[in-house]
Amino acid sequence: MDIEELTPTIEELKRVLEGKADEDTIVRELDTYINVYRSTLEAAKRGIVRKYGGEELEFVSGDGVKKKVEQVEGSEQNVDLTVKVLHADKREITARGEPKTILTGILGDDTGTIPFTSWEPDRFSLEKGGTYSIRSAYAKTWNDRPQINLGKRTEVEVEEADIEVPQRTISYSAKEVKLSELMDGMGSVNVTAKVLSAGPKNITVKGEPKTIFTGTVADESGKVEFSSWGEFPHEEGEVLRIEDAYVRSFRGIPQLNLGERVSITRVDDDIGDLEDLESSTPRSIAELGEVGGGLDVLVRGTIVDIRNGSGLIRRCPECRRSVLNDECITHGRVEAQQDLRIKAVIDDGGGALTCIVNRELSESLSGITMEEAQRMAEEQHDPDVVAKEMERRLLARAAEMRGNVVSDEYGMMMIAQAVEVVDVDVKTDAKRLLDELEAML
Amino acid sequence: MMRREPAWRMFSAELNSSSMTYKGEEEKSPSYLITPLGAKVNRVLAAGVLTDKENVGSEDEPMWRARVNDPSGSFYVNAGRYQPEASAALADLEPPKLVAVVGKVRTFSPDDGRVFVSIRPESIVEVDEAVREAWVLEACRATMERMRTLKLAVAAGGTAEDLVKQGVPRQLASGMTMALDYYGVPDSGRYIRVLQEAFRFLLPDEDVDLGLTEDVSSIADKEERVEVDVDAEDTLMDLIDELDSDGKGAPISKLIDEAQSKDISEVGFEEISNSLMDKGLIYEPVLGKLKRI
Repeated sequence: MDIEELTPTIEELKRVLEGKADEDTIVRELDTYINVYRSTLEAAKRGIVRKYGGEELEFVSGDGVKKKVEQVEGSEQNVDLTVKVLHADKREITARGEPKTILTGILGDDTGTIPFTSWEPDRFSLEKGGTYSIRSAYAKTWNDRPQINLGKRTEVEVEEADIEVPQRTISYSAKEVKLSELMDGMGSVNVTAKVLSAGPKNITVKGEPKTIFTGTVADESGKVEFSSWGEFPHEEGEVLRIEDAYVRSFRGIPQLNLGERVSITRVDDDIGDLEDLESSTPRSIAELGEVGGGLDVLVRGTIVDIRNGSGLIRRCPECRRSVLNDECITHGRVEAQQDLRIKAVIDDGGGALTCIVNRELSESLSGITMEEAQRMAEEQHDPDVVAKEMERRLLARAAEMRGNVVSDEYGMMMIAQAVEVVDVDVKTDAKRLLDELEAML
Repeated sequence: MMRREPAWRMFSAELNSSSMTYKGEEEKSPSYLITPLGAKVNRVLAAGVLTDKENVGSEDEPMWRARVNDPSGSFYVNAGRYQPEASAALADLEPPKLVAVVGKVRTFSPDDGRVFVSIRPESIVEVDEAVREAWVLEACRATMERMRTLKLAVAAGGTAEDLVKQGVPRQLASGMTMALDYYGVPDSGRYIRVLQEAFRFLLPDEDVDLGLTEDVSSIADKEERVEVDVDAEDTLMDLIDELDSDGKGAPISKLIDEAQSKDISEVGFEEISNSLMDKGLIYEPVLGKLKRI
């Protein structure tokens, strides 16, 4: 193999080795591996990277497998795709403690769509609507879904030809979406929902004052907050057909954005009473996990854990953070105040989340008042007895909890607005279930 | 985002007949037990009768082995020094007690290829009958959902992604395909029988009959269970009450004699009392005596 043919490999090795070996060395090594020892190209690259201490040792291989989007399984370490960028968005993240800008969005071809993350947004630009041939990307799964990653080894070239991405698969845009299905990053969604509240809000955009409209809309599946960047001449109770909105999440809660392209029409059909829409049915916790969170969500499950930090706790009077030994991280030695709370894990069999329950709701959930808790702790000379007693009373009990569900790297968390232990009518439910079983057989 | 593993609801019959373990490829991914009905289990919630416990460790370093009985059989629960709270709870609980257990599944395979499944509890608490019944109901519901989904998976074939497209909830899809690859299509009769037992337990006044032939030979391969007619069970329960003069249990020898006068043979007696024990209705407080729970 002559140098001409090896040029892409040399370039790739230079990039992976990041200056750990100069070009002459790489050329000499490649020549030795391939022309002297007649190793395969793949083995040569792996050997050279290992020898000079490049980072992605295990993944360097020769040509990636050419795949269609639909064929991506999520475990590919080197995959080539020709795709259209359906949606792309820069975001700031913290990676290993360092701030970093990445590009996330959705790619598609004639077989389907797939989310992607570009970890090197400065090295190549991916414009929405553009078609690219991507080489040496890798795939991972996130939430059981395959995802394409563009990293150090990845190369991107602009393709002239446009790709037809079938309507049905363009990131959910063709199909009507329920509010509970809204997911961060969706670029173009259509929903039908009722306005629960709406009003103007003054904000500052790039130093300029601007008035936007914000509020809440609901359908039978759930509720979301919306922001309208243009006029929003609609009132509480109106049912709207909203087309071409986009979704951004804030702390895991998807929010509907009505941008420049949006079209809003008033629908005469009613989709339910405001009150009914207010009291939604329980959501599946696994599905909540897929979208990351939700606004005013009801979940129903079994309390499977009362976590540390439940029961009688002490808080800093300044910042309300819970403190140990009256020592606040920010405010130093403080006169801490007692409080009562429960951090309960609620589990519906398919998923689980931590529910933070404030003093008032903790009192009603556990039946232990603040005064009783203080007395218990004093009598036993141990504040932990309160959490133990809560555990005894609540563990394995069925409960319903309502509140906003947010998520961060540690998982999903609900700030409870209402909680209730549920008494299951076993006989009635069992009869209904037995009927179902008989129909199944 | 870190995802907390859900606590699966399932009967011991399904959990104990699992032998396939799976660990994800990523570094910190948890290990799972794949059940024949396609559950991908890391954590379970179980409830039933704590029928017995034994400290197989020492006084200082206890290692508790316990059994928790549901309508289909028993969960095996092991708690040692790394489960201090569950160990302490087990030390205080005197069987029989109704309990709920949340814990991680563990497997043990001796060289002969068998796989034993146990629960390493995170917590174990005493519960009331309402909580126990609610659990049986949930386990029925979850078992049915898996059976329904597995049926769909068999019909659809293909990968987990294909199943999701067919409407299978994402959290069920990958376990389903793994289970079908490893175990093949399960004997649905076995699980229908488990459900039948559970519904009979929940609805004692209803005539629950799912149309299964009461053929002893086709029942559960691991735990032989024998169908016993319900009238005979009632008769025996009454006898136990009658002969339990001091509250410490009815002597088995007397029970056998009395049972024979009511047309229950010695073999029949054995079957009926085993069935009652399996259902968590009676237990053996001391050797040679039976008592109602």
